Amino acid sequence: MKGCNYIREQIDEADKPDLLSFEVTAHTAECPDCERFAASRRALRTLVASSGRVSAPINFDAMLNARLADVKARHSFWWLGSPVYYRLGAATAGLVIMVFAAQYAGLFSYKSKPPTEPVALQNPVFVPPPDVSPGVLTSPIEPTPNKLGNDAAYATVSGARPRRSAGRVAPPVYLTAEDGGVVLLRGQNGDMDVQMPTVSVGAQPLLYVRAGQRAVSNIGTSF
Amino acid sequence: MAAVTHQAQAIELSGSRSIEAANDHELLAAIRDGDEFAFQEIVRRYRNPITNFVHRMLDDYDRSVELAQETFIRVYTSASRYQANYSFSTYIYRIATNLAISELRRRKRRKTVSLFSPFTNDDGEPVEIDPPDLNMLQDETLIKNERRSAVARAITSLPPKYRAAIVLRDVEGLSYDQIADALKLSEGTVKSRINRARNLLKEKLTAYI
Repeated sequence: MKGCNYIREQIDEADKPDLLSFEVTAHTAECPDCERFAASRRALRTLVASSGRVSAPINFDAMLNARLADVKARHSFWWLGSPVYYRLGAATAGLVIMVFAAQYAGLFSYKSKPPTEPVALQNPVFVPPPDVSPGVLTSPIEPTPNKLGNDAAYATVSGARPRRSAGRVAPPVYLTAEDGGVVLLRGQNGDMDVQMPTVSVGAQPLLYVRAGQRAVSNIGTSF
Repeated sequence: MAAVTHQAQAIELSGSRSIEAANDHELLAAIRDGDEFAFQEIVRRYRNPITNFVHRMLDDYDRSVELAQETFIRVYTSASRYQANYSFSTYIYRIATNLAISELRRRKRRKTVSLFSPFTNDDGEPVEIDPPDLNMLQDETLIKNERRSAVARAITSLPPKYRAAIVLRDVEGLSYDQIADALKLSEGTVKSRINRARNLLKEKLTAYI
């Protein structure tokens, strides 16, 4: 004979409170406590189950369809109703895509000439290179008055004012004002000093001065 | 594999079989394929049980209807993610249970006070205002209504974890394994909760048993 705990578990787990197995029925017939437990559980389950059911209202389907239509409409523009960080992320992604698309379409490229062509010179007069021993110019950008005298030794951007300094004549016009800026490569600038604009904002042309030549090549833009 | 099965069910449903004869899984497959009539059939089958279940959980009819509708909206919007690993009734009861428990938690945060029980006793339990009925005779309907409201109050006073289990078992008639699936619990835990809920209900409804 099974214990009372086992029988009470069987009573509790029965699908129907009034349909108990033979084993349980036989036990409850001899055990008054378990019989009271079974009767109590049967009454409780019957009471809870018979406490009345509610039904959906008549307009349930109509209300549901209206809400569903609203959900479908919002689903197309989900990101508009989303939190701020989602909207911000979507806007940023859209902006990045537009920038890449514009860059790909060439909207930011203002160069029309091929970069390998030399820059046109305003005054292509050949001036022999100054007789300056190597190593005098330690820095082509920062002239020292002791070595160069004054800044007239720099190649002018405008090209209209050829200058002399310490027996060295700078090429008068190799760069134009439209060039905007240069890139100086150490040891490859033909011993020339090139004056740079003080402030460079935005895309600047990259100029290359070949050693021993008087031509300046435009090799592209800074970005 | 499951997708192939769903597709086959949808084709079969749109072909020879009628919507009324289709089972729940076939209807879900049809909803996934955009069949609005299949969704209407699902609503027709489950609107009353779901509304009743949520009403038992909340004891608030209007809010129960809203949450039942929200349940069906979630079924519709997540039909593509539905997996037929267990019965659809378990699936939809799980959604409804989660919504109801969320609503109970929200109410608990708001600390709503019932107009029928604004006072509490020394133990903190609500003491209901129960004005005497001055009518001469109480017919059977009134007795039934009184019993019904007492049961509803007793169920509502249970903790939500016990409430969901006992309502699914004794009101909706789900089996233990279905309740375990719906509540994401083990079957042993479900049995324990139901037993505990019955003991609590027995204490509260002694006068009616």
